[in-house]
Amino acid sequence: MLRTLFRLAPAHSVLRQHFQLSQCTNKLLSACSLTTSAVSRNCTKIAETKTVENADQITKTHNNPFAKTKPSYDTDEATNKIPPPTGEEERAKLLKVLQLEVDIAHQEGKRVPTLESITEENWLHILTLPSKSARFKYYGYLWQVEVKRQAKERKKEERAVQVLERKEELRKQREETDHIIYGLGHTSFFLRIYDSTINNFQNNRLTRAMQFSPKIVLDCSYDQNMTRREALNAAKQLMLCFAENRAHDDPFDMHYCNVNLESVCSKALKRYIPTMLNPEFPMNVHEKCFTELFPKENLVYLTPHCRTDLEAYNPDSVYIIGAMVDTVNNEPLSLAKAKRLGIRMARLPLDRYLQWGSGSGKSLTLNQMVNILLDLKTTKDWAQALKHVPRRKLLDMESEGQQQKRLLEKRANRLNFNLNDVLDEKRNKGREEQRQKIRTHMKNTPFDVDAWGAKKKNRNSN
Amino acid sequence: MFSLKFFRQNRNFVQISTSLQIACSTTRKSSAFKRPQLSVPHTDHLQTLKTDLFQQRSELSPSEWKELRTSLISKYKHVSESNVDAMILGLCGCVEQLPLAKNYVHYLRGCGLEPNLASIGRLLRIYNASYHASGGNDSALSTEEQQDILNVYGKIRERYEILDATTCKNLIYGLVCTKEWRTGLDLLRMAQLTSKPSIGALTELTVKAFIEGELEIGWNLLEETVIKGKEPKCESYLAYLKFIANEPVTLQCSLEKLYSFLESHELVITAKVAQYIIQLLQKNSFNAKSTQIDSRGICQHCGLHLRDISVSDAEYAKLSNSFINKVLIRNDIFQKSTPEEVERFKRYVTKTAPYDCVIDGLNVAYSMGPKRPPAALATLLVNVVKHFKSQGKYVLVLGRKHMNSWPKDALMYIRKNASLFLTNNLSQDDPFLLYATLKSGQSTDFFSRDLMRSHAFLLGNDLRIIFRRWQQEHQYALITQTKDGRIIVKEPTRHLLYTHKVQDTWHVPYKSSYSPNPSDTFEVPESWLCIKF
Repeated sequence: MLRTLFRLAPAHSVLRQHFQLSQCTNKLLSACSLTTSAVSRNCTKIAETKTVENADQITKTHNNPFAKTKPSYDTDEATNKIPPPTGEEERAKLLKVLQLEVDIAHQEGKRVPTLESITEENWLHILTLPSKSARFKYYGYLWQVEVKRQAKERKKEERAVQVLERKEELRKQREETDHIIYGLGHTSFFLRIYDSTINNFQNNRLTRAMQFSPKIVLDCSYDQNMTRREALNAAKQLMLCFAENRAHDDPFDMHYCNVNLESVCSKALKRYIPTMLNPEFPMNVHEKCFTELFPKENLVYLTPHCRTDLEAYNPDSVYIIGAMVDTVNNEPLSLAKAKRLGIRMARLPLDRYLQWGSGSGKSLTLNQMVNILLDLKTTKDWAQALKHVPRRKLLDMESEGQQQKRLLEKRANRLNFNLNDVLDEKRNKGREEQRQKIRTHMKNTPFDVDAWGAKKKNRNSN
Repeated sequence: MFSLKFFRQNRNFVQISTSLQIACSTTRKSSAFKRPQLSVPHTDHLQTLKTDLFQQRSELSPSEWKELRTSLISKYKHVSESNVDAMILGLCGCVEQLPLAKNYVHYLRGCGLEPNLASIGRLLRIYNASYHASGGNDSALSTEEQQDILNVYGKIRERYEILDATTCKNLIYGLVCTKEWRTGLDLLRMAQLTSKPSIGALTELTVKAFIEGELEIGWNLLEETVIKGKEPKCESYLAYLKFIANEPVTLQCSLEKLYSFLESHELVITAKVAQYIIQLLQKNSFNAKSTQIDSRGICQHCGLHLRDISVSDAEYAKLSNSFINKVLIRNDIFQKSTPEEVERFKRYVTKTAPYDCVIDGLNVAYSMGPKRPPAALATLLVNVVKHFKSQGKYVLVLGRKHMNSWPKDALMYIRKNASLFLTNNLSQDDPFLLYATLKSGQSTDFFSRDLMRSHAFLLGNDLRIIFRRWQQEHQYALITQTKDGRIIVKEPTRHLLYTHKVQDTWHVPYKSSYSPNPSDTFEVPESWLCIKF
């Protein structure tokens, strides 16, 4: 099983020089990978383009046959889009103009970061954005990051002051006493369990799972269909999938298939898990497709666009989850892929076991899916497994009931109707006179025909 | 006596004990900053500023400006040295007080602070506002003000090689007040390097061009506005009308040019412009009145029948040939269907074409509500087929494979009296509907309540216009079913919905108010102008 781990360490260094981002802007602009075709400029998706030079035999850049060359909605013949810069002086000029734009927007008080805090990598991304509004949305994001960072630093310094004070006090106290000091860092009978010990234990369990457990595939071929932001989110979710699988009592044998190592998503995943491609690390990363790794009869593609529910969990079948964050793109891509390959399809029986609320859509993140499948494998009980669906997406039964109750009470109040009068008629006959039938605050006021029949003021604001 | 006391606030500083300060590291920068509570001024505060400070005053003393500046900077977290000037000038702009703005700039120069680009831009917009407020002609601004604008422009162009879109827009606003407005056209080109042109800048230049009598430049700008996908504002049309009002001899010709412009781009003017046109024509004793068009397409004023929509044969061929590639297959046929199904459908259509009408079975069946038993759905569909059968028409009904589980007699009736094609449950059936209708010929209609917006979008800009025209001519929609099973149907509006000429009378539709982004509307314009030559 360990042989399936792809060795890519030497190939990586070859690729790395193409993507080295230096500090100097001249080098930035003359990097050959940046003078890419107009296609990438016209697309709103920021997919890193496939590298131009790949003469090296070790670098098996797998041309994904399922990847599209152009996003499906790019039907405009680019009449309304800004023409992309060709040549290096044009790019330098554009960069200067954009810096001026940021400066002026900052002077006008708009949400843009200060010019100094925008890094080279950010400028690289900004130069690929197609329109002014897209740029301003990205500036807004950078502004938010900057402001949060400043607030965090400020709070940290304030806390540091308090911590120092506290430590001083504690040290003074401890110097005076001659008793033994118990606690973490002092005399204690607890063994310290380090993170690396936990990791080793879990890795060991994972290697055992690779030999004996059922398999799961995460299909990473959707990078061309995601925007940059979505690709980064997908990378984080993939990392969480691996972590939560490893931490579970009975992990799956997880395979990442159709991985394109130059894509935005995979590069971000490599940042999260730097040892991802090391041979001793128990993560299966394949550039091949899952059809080449597993027999087709066992494959089941989990896609939300099909009509058949997954009835029962079958440990012999290999479940495939498409690693795509589809907030922007809502085409049935996973359905199309499964249809083309002729694989069985299924979706989770969410409607049968859960009451879906009105707010959020029925999309689940990748790590939620993996958790559901893990629990399904262990307990074979859908109700238990679907507890991993976040509560905010589901219908809040209690608040619905209370809302109904409040509405009824409001209407009864308006009609001056009291349910207890009707129900406890016999018992409270004597008390009827005491019950206030007319509104007491109006009792002593003279009758005013102009105000008669006016709407009752809403005293409770709900 | 006016005082700014209520702006003063106690500043809170973080208390740092000196002994710890020595022990701590050197990074003390953020805690040394003030900690104002609010991030940006609330609109209420701005309102009080405007009423207390700015109205009825044309200048403030330097100390008052200084107070205002420092109070804004200290009170709000996101107001700093660099953006407070633009903010204050923005406030002046709301009240349109040119002297106050100039006073503030003078104060800044007196302090030794050169106003930054954003503040100068705001100043130019204030110039523009007061230019329009005092009549919008050559003498609206004094010569030294115009010179001031030109100096500013010169300085900015000298310092920066390429300007960004906002600065270009503000400079255009300023130059339009002077004689050098033609350089605004160069600035427009420059702005397009970084962004789509702004409708405000285009309108200002168009209006100025028409006022100055440069009709060719004005019309070029209007064409450009429409090509970039923006709707020209009322001011552009009004400026043109005001110019041609001075030459009653060529009035008709110039108006014809306007009408042909509206016709070729299918634009709809607003009520304001329509009123002006009526007044203009009636002053010169021409026949112009606002009317309505009845459902048959006949104008109530002149009694003429409006022109019918037609899609030419060439356009129709273009649409039907590229439809299936652009909409159904696109990049990946598996997203909407499968290759076998598309082939099967193509063979079926060639075998059973031509039809009189193609019905979207599921759209019709579910039009009475989604949660109905299959029996009710089936009866509705059967009634629709009966309706067409009674008119002697041959129809094709499209559905999905799950309809096989509907009541058998309904399906038998449909199969006997019409053609039926069922697609897979996972495929989208709308593209099949449109493909069958297009392949069948120019006289085939289709029956669906769907607006087909996604399919129109996928066709691309040129084909979309042809598609919309064809759709308007051929789409029937179900309104309701009566108790005894009769079907009430909405027929398509067969007349043109934009400006056009019938014999020698122009009919111009208009709407009530301006909308900056005109989207595909499916409503018939209610009010029209009937203009006889």
